[in-house]
This record gives sequence, structure tokens and C-alpha cells, in this order.
Amino acid sequence: MNGTQWQGRWDPLRELQREVGRLFNGLDPFQPLRNVRQYPPVNVYDAGEGYILSAQLPGVAVEEVELTITGETLTMRGERKRPEGVKDDSYRRQERPVGRWSRTITLPDRVDSTQVSATFTNGILTVNLPKAENARPRHIAVNSGS
Amino acid sequence: MKATHPSIRVTVGHQPPQAAAPGAFAEASPELQQAFTPPIDIHEGPDGLTLEADLPGATEANLIIQLEDNVLSLHARIEPPAPEGARTLHEEYHVGDYYRSFILSDEVDRERITAELRNGVLRLVLPKADRARARRIEIRS
Repeated sequence: MNGTQWQGRWDPLRELQREVGRLFNGLDPFQPLRNVRQYPPVNVYDAGEGYILSAQLPGVAVEEVELTITGETLTMRGERKRPEGVKDDSYRRQERPVGRWSRTITLPDRVDSTQVSATFTNGILTVNLPKAENARPRHIAVNSGS
Repeated sequence: MKATHPSIRVTVGHQPPQAAAPGAFAEASPELQQAFTPPIDIHEGPDGLTLEADLPGATEANLIIQLEDNVLSLHARIEPPAPEGARTLHEEYHVGDYYRSFILSDEVDRERITAELRNGVLRLVLPKADRARARRIEIRS
């Protein structure tokens, strides 16, 4: 056979172009920011008397979570361990995140750190943060000056 | 002889079984459009497959696991965590139901599938059917 089809011919330049393109895509400085996803995801609610923070931490045991609070900053950290006795090559699919994690959340206002309570049910960590006395709205009675 | 392994096919994207399972999910179908796809792990052991799904907020009472024909589906209804009247200040995850479905191969023993829900993680054990398990045949003298 003489003469291969031109479409199927290997073109080193085309290959190179593709490689360079891929390289530049990998160099995108904003790439890590584009799909930034903090772990664990946290929601904060204002329930009037206090704030409620909830975090999705499935598969984490109570004793594996460390919670500290100073002023307006709440820090939580822990580790989600890989299931024991499961070999890497036995995985057919692995989508769930594992590893060490930590989050620091700045609360909108001061909280009464002595009254903070936390519960952990069904993989959701809920932290109740009562607002500090001086952060709550106060009613001031207006006296008529008689 | 060809060795058979149990397999599980993960369907891509949302495919609420509107046609496949008209029974239990019929009235829930419009809501399923907003359901989230939970992340899963599947690993294979000598006795079969183990599937683990992250379902934070799910309870035994609001989780439905259904096996119809060869489609295994899980659907969890999630209650909002905040009390009523609370104002959302910051939201990194949306509160909503979870839905995901899988296609099981014939090598999975349907009768012996077990499920366990702990700390928001569902663990489904899908044992190999007897005929799919490697067997040693004793030769009697």
C-alpha cells in the first residue's frame, strides 16, 4: 500500500499544540478558586436569641471533632478516617472526601461562650451560640419627664 | 470458565424512576427534581460489594431504599436543621432531599442485601450470589 490517508496521519505539531494547551489550562492561577469547596460545608442561622451553626460531617464520630470558641471566632477541626481494612485497589468508586479538616468561622457578633452547646446527630453538627448580653437588642424605656 | 463478579452500575445524573417505580415515588416525583446526588464509595470484598453513601441529616424513618427489578434506589427526605423563623446568614450547603439510583448485576444476592445507617452514612452490603462465589468442589472417593 502506498500513501496513507492524510486525515489519519500523525501530526506532531497538532499533538504538541494539544499538549501546550493542556499545560496552559493547568497553569490557570484561578483554577483552585473556581471550584473551591470548603470542608465541611457550614450554614449559619440567626434565631434571634442566638446563632445556630450547622455543619455536614457524615461519618464522623463525636469524639473526632474538636470545637473551640474565642470571642467571635469558632474553630472546629477533626479528621475523617478512611474505613479500616479496605484496600485501595478494592475501590470501584470513591467520591466521599477523607482526611484532616479544619474550619474557622467568624461570627457576626459576640457570643456568650460559656453558654455555647453543641449536638451531633445523623452526621450534622449543630452548634447553638447564644448572643452575648451586650450584643442582644435592648429595649430602653423612655420616661416622660414629668 | 469465566469468573463472574457482582457489579453495580451507577447511573449518571438525576434519573428519578418516574416510569420504573410508579408506586412509592409517584407523588414525590416533582420534588425529586431538587434532590441532591449524595457522594458514594463502592468497594469490593471477597463476599461482595459494599456501598457507602454520605447522607447527612438522614434518619431511618425518612430514608427509603427500594429495589425494583435491578434498580436499587435510595431517597432520603431531609428536614431543615434550623428552627422556624430563623434567618439564614450564611449558606454553604442547601438543605434538601437526597436521591440516587444504581443498577445491580445478577451476581448480587438481592435477598441478603443489608443496610445500616450510622452518623449520616448509609452502608449497604451487597453480597455475592452463591453461584457467583468461587466454590471448591470436593471430589469424593
